[in-house]
Amino acid sequence: MSDTKSEKIVHGMMAEFTTVDSLLSACRRIRDAGYTKTDAFTPFPVHGIDKALGIKPTVLPWICFFAGITGTCIALTMEIWMNGIDYRYIISGKPFISLPAFIPVAFELTILLASFGAFFGMWALNGLPRFSNPVFTDPRFDRATDDRFFLYIDAKDDRYDAAGVRSLLTDTGSDYINEVVEDDSPKAVPRPIYMIWGAAVAASIIPLLCVLLMRVTNSSQPRFHIFPDMDFSPAKDAQQTTSLFGDNRAMRPDVPGTVARGQLIGSLDVMTGIDVDSLQAMNAPRAERLVAAFMQDDQAAVAEEVTEVATEEEEQAEASVMQTTPWVKDNPLTVDQALLSRGQLQFGVYCSVCHGMDGRGNGLVNQRAQERGFDTWVPPSNMHEDTLYSDKYPDGKLFSTISNGIRKMPGYAGQITVQDRWAIVAYVRALQLSQNASLDSVPASRKDEVSQAVESAKKELQRQAEEAAQAAAAREEK
Amino acid sequence: MSLAIPNGLDNTVERPGERAPLVLGETTFHDITESVCQVAERKPSAGWVGGFLIAFALLQMLGLLILYLIYTGVGVWGNRAPIFWGWPIVNFVFWVGIGHAGTLISAILYLFRQEWRTSINRAAEAMTIFAVACAGTFPGIHVGRAWLAFWLAPYPSLNLWMWPQFRSPLLWDVFAVSTYGTVSLLFWYMGMVPDLATFRDRSKNKWRRMIYGILCLGWSGSSRHWMRYEKAYAILAALAAPLVLSVHTIVSFDFAVSQVPGWHTTIFPPYFVAGAIFSGFAMVLTLMIPARKMLNLEKLITIRHLENMCKIILATGTLVGLAYGTEFFIAWYGQVPAEQFAFVNRAFGPYWWAYWTMVSCNVISPQLFWFKKLRTTPWTIVVICIFVNIGMWFERFVITITSLSRDYLPSAWAYFSPTWVDWGMLIGSFGLFFTLFLLFCRTLPVINMAEVKSTLAKQHHMAHAAAEHSEGGH
Repeated sequence: MSDTKSEKIVHGMMAEFTTVDSLLSACRRIRDAGYTKTDAFTPFPVHGIDKALGIKPTVLPWICFFAGITGTCIALTMEIWMNGIDYRYIISGKPFISLPAFIPVAFELTILLASFGAFFGMWALNGLPRFSNPVFTDPRFDRATDDRFFLYIDAKDDRYDAAGVRSLLTDTGSDYINEVVEDDSPKAVPRPIYMIWGAAVAASIIPLLCVLLMRVTNSSQPRFHIFPDMDFSPAKDAQQTTSLFGDNRAMRPDVPGTVARGQLIGSLDVMTGIDVDSLQAMNAPRAERLVAAFMQDDQAAVAEEVTEVATEEEEQAEASVMQTTPWVKDNPLTVDQALLSRGQLQFGVYCSVCHGMDGRGNGLVNQRAQERGFDTWVPPSNMHEDTLYSDKYPDGKLFSTISNGIRKMPGYAGQITVQDRWAIVAYVRALQLSQNASLDSVPASRKDEVSQAVESAKKELQRQAEEAAQAAAAREEK
Repeated sequence: MSLAIPNGLDNTVERPGERAPLVLGETTFHDITESVCQVAERKPSAGWVGGFLIAFALLQMLGLLILYLIYTGVGVWGNRAPIFWGWPIVNFVFWVGIGHAGTLISAILYLFRQEWRTSINRAAEAMTIFAVACAGTFPGIHVGRAWLAFWLAPYPSLNLWMWPQFRSPLLWDVFAVSTYGTVSLLFWYMGMVPDLATFRDRSKNKWRRMIYGILCLGWSGSSRHWMRYEKAYAILAALAAPLVLSVHTIVSFDFAVSQVPGWHTTIFPPYFVAGAIFSGFAMVLTLMIPARKMLNLEKLITIRHLENMCKIILATGTLVGLAYGTEFFIAWYGQVPAEQFAFVNRAFGPYWWAYWTMVSCNVISPQLFWFKKLRTTPWTIVVICIFVNIGMWFERFVITITSLSRDYLPSAWAYFSPTWVDWGMLIGSFGLFFTLFLLFCRTLPVINMAEVKSTLAKQHHMAHAAAEHSEGGH
């Protein structure tokens, strides 16, 4: 309806009314005049206006209905598939597909989807959101959401004719009639909005990039734990301190009078190296003291009962401890290759540092002490002295010495288990035998084998000696 | 536009053959716009700023306590064997209950064409959303590892390789509360769109106009839009009405479907729903009465509105009292020793003080609303409503704690003691609620202007008709 090209596009004609009744009568008049592309704008829903304008009913209830049915179907399918088929929780033999229990979720999803249908369906049918609307250009239109009522006839209506429409609307009693023209405000979105939007998009990519970068980067550091998720146990490690106990030790000693699981391997005899019954017969008070101290796990008291004392005055007592104690004569464990290997290993770990791998009492600690010339140093015993052979130094006594210590040597009961201590005893006996054995003591069946081994060892030693001699000669020639 | 109010300013007097006016004074449509918009447009009052600062500080406290909880573990609460559902669940049920009034006012009263709902529904709906937000916080952090709360949703997970248990009331609860929160939000927002358009059109500031313009989705007030809008509103109301009844029903299943004595009762669904409406209306009144005074809305939220709500409180409070009595009757009549013990223990056991606080606040105090004087005087309403709120919190405490503290195994009995974190979170949840509510008052339309205007149009129409009738004679 533009006269020249320079003029703006006309969208329609707007008339303002101050009361509902005048609006309604105007609506009826333009409806009766045959206009169909009409609309009214009111601050609240005016009842009867759909009839006055000839607005058709909406299909919204149907959208809503089908959305609701979809919700029911989704819920029931989900529940039946998830709990009835894919992942079955066994609970008191109750049925996996249990319709009564599935109703609440089905009901909620029905309501939820039907509500989405009503909410989003309504906006979609209304063509909203729509932020640019030519009717907003009317300077008085702001009052359409306050207290004024507007009637609008669209220029696309077949009967539209600016002058005719204007006179018709004047007849209806409107005192303000205005042509709605193309909005001449700039269409472009304001620059700050673009900038904020761009900055937000750029910023939102950063965390994603960080995550992606971390995904593909090797790191020697452990992953960053936002939430620990029980990955780290608060349990104390050995040797750590704690404020929970008076002694500040995180490692707890055994409760007195108890034996840790797996540590009770036999009678008191096995545990102490002493024939307790005989001791009871010989010296009842001492036996009782020993057993009581042992049961209390009082290592010092046990040691007092069984160890030799170092002072000159008590040499007599020492001798009497040695002689008056009914030591266990034989190793209570079955001595076999496995036990000896275990004993060798444990001897290597605990004993060899002082006593030497060969048991001659010249381990690294002793060598170092000799070098430094400590005058308080008591050299470790040589295992190959005949006073330490089993006839004079019974297995039980040896076991007791390992357990409780002697002279400068501390007791190893805390470090070495009972089985291992007996294994060491067995190994020491084998070690003693190895250093002074003759070929006669080897069983006849294995004599040849041993002889051959001795021969080849001799040859090997001889070869090595020759090589050494040759090497020495060569060096001299040079 | 002027209008004679037959009853002057007292619209609580019933006159036969006449509808009491719901909007008082010589009011025009523009007056309504003005009185509602001024709440958000004028500078905040000192009272608002002070209240907001206090509420916001409490909200910060809640946030810090939640961080402390997540960092340390749920041991910071008083939840100990056998009371594993302590204050978090009490607070959850309390807040969900509060959140029932808004949708009830919006949906059920709308369906019953109770037009007095129009000036109070917006604030009540907002309150619903905020109460559901408070309620949602507690089960969210109660799951122990709060950052994994999304495991509640049935989503395909490569980590879990399993699905939720759909036969568990706790999962029904997840669906019920989240659906309720979502639908309430849609309902609230949709109802607000025309009023947001009013805000947009009144904005002088460019940015304010842009923000409200986006929020109102370009609403123009077109009659075609209004027609679909009203249809959608009616449908949402029809959907929300059964929903609001289902939510507290399902919350009550959390208890009723278990086998703990004192929980395992079929009366729980109606009893919980009645209690929810009761507590929700009490909270609406507790908030609305100071708000109408501070925001100068006394002509729109009239004494008649308050009186109507008091009548609903009286009715639901009596229902709740009936439910308490029925529980005891069934415990006696049912002859289950564990059940009988649970109820005697509730009233006369170690938590007797909580039980009798609950009974006096919930059963006795609303009965005062039989007196017209008491239900039409704002300050007495507030006092009674605060008592009802206290009583309803204690109801949830009594149900949750007494049943767990003494169940089947006497050797496992214990007495629940809340920790300072429990107290802090309860108080902090009020901080969350009031922060949101105060922000709402300042930024969004607190009263549904469009609906009040259409009520006023009807009032005008009737007055007009009455005037014509008397002038015309016979």
